[in-house]
Amino acid sequence: MRTMLAILLAGAGLVLTAVPVAAHHAFAAEFDARKPIKLRGTVVKMEWINPHSWIHIDVKRPDGKVERWMIEGGPPNALYRRGFTKDSLPVGTDILVEGFRAKDGSNRGNGRDLTFSNGKKLFLGSSGTGAPRDGQNSTDR
Amino acid sequence: MNRRYVVSLGVLATAIVILALALAPGAAQAPTAAKTAAPTAWTPSRTPWGDPDLQGVYRYEAAIPLERPANLADTPFLTDEEVARRDQAEQEQEAKRLAGGEGVDVGRQPLSESPIRGNEYNSFWQDHGRPRQIHNRTSLIVDPPDGKLPYTPDARKAEARSAARYGIGPYESFLDPDTGERCLTDGVTALMWQGPNGGHNRIMQSPGYVTILHEEYRDRRIIPVDGRAHGSIRQWFGDAVGRWEGSTLVVDTVNFLDKTHYEWANVWTRPSETLHLVERFTRVDADTIEYEITIEDPTTFARPWKAAIPITRLPDGTQIYEYACHEGNYAMPNLLSGARAQAQAGEEGR
Repeated sequence: MRTMLAILLAGAGLVLTAVPVAAHHAFAAEFDARKPIKLRGTVVKMEWINPHSWIHIDVKRPDGKVERWMIEGGPPNALYRRGFTKDSLPVGTDILVEGFRAKDGSNRGNGRDLTFSNGKKLFLGSSGTGAPRDGQNSTDR
Repeated sequence: MNRRYVVSLGVLATAIVILALALAPGAAQAPTAAKTAAPTAWTPSRTPWGDPDLQGVYRYEAAIPLERPANLADTPFLTDEEVARRDQAEQEQEAKRLAGGEGVDVGRQPLSESPIRGNEYNSFWQDHGRPRQIHNRTSLIVDPPDGKLPYTPDARKAEARSAARYGIGPYESFLDPDTGERCLTDGVTALMWQGPNGGHNRIMQSPGYVTILHEEYRDRRIIPVDGRAHGSIRQWFGDAVGRWEGSTLVVDTVNFLDKTHYEWANVWTRPSETLHLVERFTRVDADTIEYEITIEDPTTFARPWKAAIPITRLPDGTQIYEYACHEGNYAMPNLLSGARAQAQAGEEGR
């Protein structure tokens, strides 16, 4: 990602100020940009592990079968500093995940956007620490 | 406040340079003079045992690239107007990042051009809730004057190879991802200001020692500042000894292990046995350490080079946390299996 920062900065005429990217590996090493995913699922657990957090969700397919997916997120240390806690995404929360699938075709992906069932995006529309104050209620279906 | 300070510091530094020129006719004044004038501007407090106090948790928050971008090749310093314009843009982008903006709105590639390349995660995964500081310098490298890494021809080839394979592979083994992806390290100087998690570091002092705890990779450096000579053991992070020069901590490090055969995301961060690193830590105001590195390594560079990196002291109470990177590094099996799947698809496609 250091390379990415350099690329972004090199285009300074277009991009005024580049943003450091919080990822410890190159996106393309793990995920396939040609395989966008959009999954609606229920949070089963969240792994607070570095260098990336992982959210496990159960996704019900049209045929009724339930698939378990793993979604990669930001580093927990960074999330915690933004106000993300274990209460932010409790088990049972319905979320819509948009991202990209793992290159090996398994049920894993990166979580680019996470949206709650009320339409609010995770962390967005709030102030201060940026932590969600609503939308994370598991009964809010 | 910090950014305003930087702007006004630039004006102040310019005044000091003009004054210095007037007082010392004939003295060579490189463009970096404005920078080196800064350390005299502020006097740090002292520890109870009398050393300058550098302690705190720091993070790099400036928006200065290591190397000077090609479109600013002849512009080592931005004008006050340009700094103000970029600062305004950063304030707006930060507000948009917090509000969930994407792509160009938040300073990244246009989404229409690429859903990845900086856009693979939306703002909330990445944003730290603090706008970055705009400085008037266009590169962290202050010497050579062109602001470019003075690679040897061989090292330049190695850098091109590294850039070409980053994120692409080949990933035949766990040895193939770079040192950061392997949860080893990003390199001793890069840790002070770069990092996937924002580069949080705690500087702690005790009589005769300065310790730097790096959050990322849980690296730490215990630097004796007691007049001892270098030891003889070669280590990844070399053998560091420190000394005080006025209010500046100078850390001289030799005896690095040769790790040039490892994959490094950026070749300039790799140590070799010929690396001689000198780091200078100077508190230039209550919130900033000027972290200056001088790197001399004939294995990788045609000449010594120097970078001056402002790192920001975070509010009291800021903590650094455990990292435990190996244990949670699902990316390693994922990228290896991804490479296998890609290879298989390639074979089937023939």
